[in-house]
Amino acid sequence: MSTQDESPRAHTMPAESSNDTPAGTPAVADTADTETPPPRIGVYVCHCGGNISDVVDVQKVADLAAQLPNVVVSRTNTFMCSDPGQTAIAKDIVDQGLDRVIVAACSPKLHETTFRNVLQRSGLNPYLYESVNIREQVSWATAAGADATAKATSLVAAAVAKAARLSPLEPIRVDTTARAVVVGAGVAGLRAASDLARAGIEVALVERAAALGGNASVLDHLFPSEEPAGDVLTRLVDDVLAQPRVTIYTEALVESVSGYVGNFTVTVRQPTHGLVLDDEARRSGAAAGRFVPFQGYVFDAARGGGATETARAQRVGPVSGDASGDAGALDAEAPAATVEIEAGAVIVAAGFDHYVPRKGEYGYERIPQVVTLPDFIRWLSSVEPGAGLPDYDGSPVAGVAFIHCVGSRQAEGINKPQPDGHINEYCSRVCCTAALQAICDVQAKRPDVATYDFYQDIRAYGRGHEEYYERASKGGTVFVRWNDQEPPTIAKAKPGDGPAALVRARDGLTWGEEVEAAVDLVVLAVGMQPADVSALVDSLKLPVGADRFLQEVHPKLRPVELSVTGVLVAGTAQGPKDITETAASASAAAAKATALLSLGHVELDPFVAHVDATLCEGTGACVAECPYTGAVELHDYPDGAKRAIVNPALCSGCGACVAVCPARAIDLAGWSLDQYEAMVDAILAGSEAPAR
Amino acid sequence: MTTPDRFDVLVIGAGIAGLQSALDLADQGFSVGLVERDPSIGGAMIGLSKVFPTLDCSSCITTPKMAAAAHHPNITTLTYTEVEEVRRDGEAYRARLRRKPRYVIEEECIGCRQCEFACPVEVPDTFEGGMGARRAVYIPFTNAIPQTAVVDPDDCILCGRCVTACPTDAVVLDQAPEIIEIVAQAVVATTGWKLTPIDAKAEYRGDKITNVLSPLQMERLLAPHGPYGRVLRPSDGKVPESLAYVQCAGSRDQTLGVPYCSRVCCMYAIKQAMLLSGSLPFADITIYYMDIRAFGKGYEEFYRSAKAMGIEFVKGKVARLTEDDDQGVVVRVERMDEYGQVVERKHDLVVLSLGMRPGEDLARLAALEIGEDGFVEVPRPKEAPCRTARAGFFVAGTATGPMDIVDTIVEAGAAATEASLYLRERGVTGSPSRLDAIAETDAAAASRDEVRVVS
Repeated sequence: MSTQDESPRAHTMPAESSNDTPAGTPAVADTADTETPPPRIGVYVCHCGGNISDVVDVQKVADLAAQLPNVVVSRTNTFMCSDPGQTAIAKDIVDQGLDRVIVAACSPKLHETTFRNVLQRSGLNPYLYESVNIREQVSWATAAGADATAKATSLVAAAVAKAARLSPLEPIRVDTTARAVVVGAGVAGLRAASDLARAGIEVALVERAAALGGNASVLDHLFPSEEPAGDVLTRLVDDVLAQPRVTIYTEALVESVSGYVGNFTVTVRQPTHGLVLDDEARRSGAAAGRFVPFQGYVFDAARGGGATETARAQRVGPVSGDASGDAGALDAEAPAATVEIEAGAVIVAAGFDHYVPRKGEYGYERIPQVVTLPDFIRWLSSVEPGAGLPDYDGSPVAGVAFIHCVGSRQAEGINKPQPDGHINEYCSRVCCTAALQAICDVQAKRPDVATYDFYQDIRAYGRGHEEYYERASKGGTVFVRWNDQEPPTIAKAKPGDGPAALVRARDGLTWGEEVEAAVDLVVLAVGMQPADVSALVDSLKLPVGADRFLQEVHPKLRPVELSVTGVLVAGTAQGPKDITETAASASAAAAKATALLSLGHVELDPFVAHVDATLCEGTGACVAECPYTGAVELHDYPDGAKRAIVNPALCSGCGACVAVCPARAIDLAGWSLDQYEAMVDAILAGSEAPAR
Repeated sequence: MTTPDRFDVLVIGAGIAGLQSALDLADQGFSVGLVERDPSIGGAMIGLSKVFPTLDCSSCITTPKMAAAAHHPNITTLTYTEVEEVRRDGEAYRARLRRKPRYVIEEECIGCRQCEFACPVEVPDTFEGGMGARRAVYIPFTNAIPQTAVVDPDDCILCGRCVTACPTDAVVLDQAPEIIEIVAQAVVATTGWKLTPIDAKAEYRGDKITNVLSPLQMERLLAPHGPYGRVLRPSDGKVPESLAYVQCAGSRDQTLGVPYCSRVCCMYAIKQAMLLSGSLPFADITIYYMDIRAFGKGYEEFYRSAKAMGIEFVKGKVARLTEDDDQGVVVRVERMDEYGQVVERKHDLVVLSLGMRPGEDLARLAALEIGEDGFVEVPRPKEAPCRTARAGFFVAGTATGPMDIVDTIVEAGAAATEASLYLRERGVTGSPSRLDAIAETDAAAASRDEVRVVS
């Protein structure tokens, strides 16, 4: 039996999780026939400072739990997660010899780890712990009174039944590759890449464009410091280029990602023969480049400069099929280069795209003088300061109207949905201050130009942002406030009228007066939409919010982590942010990736499926049912039979396989069928008895 | 207990930013001295009810970070300790700390609260915003860390009952402050913020009208374990039927010397309004505002739900507040959304949405550059927001300007990265029990010194 069991396992399971941990085998097997003392269970019921105890009679729950079999201690506490609460558990483990702990409190998403750590600190296996969620699932969802208390009691009884059947588990240890793939080389990607490299992590920096710098490149100067965007980006790029551990891929797209934390394989394709700049290429001078306003940091090699020859495609990890190899960057006829990069972590810093107004939205693409804010910034940068009116497209500009919230704060039924059916309800955070900064620039360069600002709320929230509002107001800008139910309308002026467009709105700052501004330019302060990361989202099943940005695990507890361990988010791929906030989130993401990769291994929860090879009949039902590629596969055993094998690092512990196995050969560690049955029995027993 | 006097990093302030920075650094194996001026770690966040936009209970997010920091082998917390000065000491920083007397021996106190029960003095409870009472000797709040009593000498009548009641003889009424010095290779300042004073704007009479509250007082009223256990107005215990928020009551106002936006007030007002409409389903709630700045992730959606719940948003700057005969608060406002007419509306309870001021003068404390607004200025605000002009000195959270909790936590992570990279590049490497490692190096150095002396 052991030969059957071990040989395929040894090569399919990563690292040390293969043979010597009980993760894959139910530990109850060898204790069944020996005399084991009954479990000693401690039950702790949390008030959550009233969040629970205002609805549930927690003392009654604790008292009833105390009467259940194997329960040695049963207590309540105002906040179980607080230090006094944790100390009470630790003390009972020692004094009362507890070997199972149950905390009935909030969702295990919040505090399961907290309480497992208490067990660990007290010398118990941390998996001899069971959570009961009596807040989200009881007190917040049930009316106060006997029903709520009965429901909580019943859930606690189920946990007691399960706890008696818990066995010690060991985390799955997975070796990690000390390399991260950073997707996107804008502010977030550049900052994350240099932070990671400085911490000793290899970095593959993958950028879809030919130039580095992302959307910050299309800005002239940055609020509120008024630094030229090029200065900031050049510093960020220089920091990255100075790190020998960073390899840069330009014009590179992430095709797919497979694997799991510590062991991802990222497939990157360079369809237009972008550059691969590793340290060697850089030392040979291939990374010579400079910041080009409104383009970004452009490498000479990308512009057909003489250094191209040294910017060789450098393979990292095994190269699939038609990889172009050394000359790929040179030969336009060669097939696109594809590399597979082995990485321990992935930081998604893919950033945003500016909202593109639909044809006709505020006159866009119908009236040539309706432009987006980035277009306007670029035009304005070419306007010399002085008296008189500047020219746009051959006509003098006497008045400019700015419209806020284009593609942001959209209202259902008012704004037409985009082709994918969405409207953007969210605020894009930076457009108010960016528009005000542009207004201040117009006023400073050409004081004769009249400016109008059509807004909903001025959200100049950041440090030094309010000053732009102040300056614009003092500079004579006319502010008109509209509401989301009645956005401004733009009409093309008649030929020969002079101005190009008429902007009309009902003004909330007066008495709802209908105002009309005749202007020569209309500037649409367009918002942010997430850049396309569908390849990553699809291959890793990353969570995306209703706003279509990537959704972090928890905005406060785990703000830069995605639900797939080892995949982090930095910058505006998560949601609109300004450059300061973007840089901070990139550093925070780099810290998490460094912590994951610097030890050489990570530990994962052991709640994964395992196969009893003596029962497995090799039907393959589990393989067909499993939603995760490679998590369970059929293997040939030496006896000629096929049996299922689980890769614990890929298994998410969803249990789909358990439900379909005709032989009950596959089960989940920590959530076994046996435990579920005991829980169901306990709940049914409670509902039959007049426990209320 | 001997406190180590050398750390890889000194973190000043154990609010949510300091806790997060300390944990991120300690998890990477660096030793951290975490200094907090209050008797408990946790900062402002531990006093909040629920937090936007997820409406998680604030304690539930703060307490685990507090407990994790308190139990971390690489973190030493020093509570009730003021940082008096941080100065350069060669390559490192030397901090002079003033350990304020608790009048309770920290190592002896078991947190049993017998002293508190014995104390005959009742004073307004500062943790509860002055609503509700505490004793002259007290444990700061239910989930405080450490669970160590502290005597407020201003309130204590020296009756000695606490001394007698203490089962471990921990209460010592003649304790003196202690000055200690610690050395750290790097510093992270997370000194936080304080509220604009409630009396800052004379027209609002926040200090004179009992039923005009600060937002932190409302947080306590909304907290399930707050002073009254429910929302009542302080003057007479009436269940308020009409409540109002005055936005920008401590921000965007040049007359207050606070011209900037405090970033969080719109959202906390909306959040409190939503919680209030849950606990007082029949109450009318009005928010008087200039601009609603719901700019963060999920915030605009949160604002929309508030409007859908029936919370009234009135665009207009409030001119003044007065009290009427039955303790109501009369709000005089120019309604920009109603032809600019000036109206007076009466509410049972009014909250002033006060803003954020710097929590500490870091120019004085650590010779950092600060702006006109008093918050720390950094030379590269765009790409390195946590790096100050002093090498190895980093800042995070509201020390650099008003910020919400989400942004603060992210920035605290960034500051930890900056500090760890700074340390690594100076050859400091972390280890899971870094404090022991430092102690061993010290012992080895000491024995070498001894050998030298002997020979």
